[in-house]
Amino acid sequence: MKEIMAIIRMDMINKTKDALLKEDFPSFHCKKVMGRGKKKVDYSLLEGLIGENERTLSPMLAEVISEGHRLLPKRLISLIVQDDQVKKAVDIIINTNSKGNQGDGKIFVLPVAETIRVRTGESGDEAV
Amino acid sequence: MLMIRAIIRPERVNAVLSELCDAGFPAVTKIDVMGRGKQRGVKVGDVFYDEIPKEMLMMVVKDEDKDDVVKLIMKNAKTGQKGAFGDGKIFISPVEEAYTISSGSTGL
Repeated sequence: MKEIMAIIRMDMINKTKDALLKEDFPSFHCKKVMGRGKKKVDYSLLEGLIGENERTLSPMLAEVISEGHRLLPKRLISLIVQDDQVKKAVDIIINTNSKGNQGDGKIFVLPVAETIRVRTGESGDEAV
Repeated sequence: MLMIRAIIRPERVNAVLSELCDAGFPAVTKIDVMGRGKQRGVKVGDVFYDEIPKEMLMMVVKDEDKDDVVKLIMKNAKTGQKGAFGDGKIFISPVEEAYTISSGSTGL
């Protein structure tokens, strides 16, 4: 079993969900996260937004453009698959999300020691 | 490659992030989490709080960079001279593969 963690753009989550469902990966979970990558973001573009508009901004946007954090909102999706399915799932995520721009995201593949289904208590490959 | 997951105090996040960036580790993901540790939470008066807000920093680094990153996080996430309960934990797990979505290339 392997865990595939992918950090993708916020607006790509629905497309990724559909693409994974079509190829028979219905189960996954996803979380709102903030992050940054290797690329330096040019925050001077956002400077006009701060100032008089500051009070009307949504908290999430305010966090992005405030001096302190400078992290961008992303979606972290995580799915557990069998060893031989890793390549297929990774390809789906890359094909769906790749627009050739920096900031499209990253995928990490991690080993999983054990999986247990809570409903029945069964463990191992059939519990995935 | 190794994944470093550090659960730290929310007020120390800025210090840790800016130090990491200066040291050449800009890539990081921050996740809001709630949790408790071995001390079973915090007791204030008669009330026991066992869901304490923390921030989890997740980053994937090369094997040889692990010690530097861990040291940096430890140094900046510590509160007081000796540190205090609730400063957090760092977990490290192996990562087998990494892909960049924009180019489809493997590796960090």
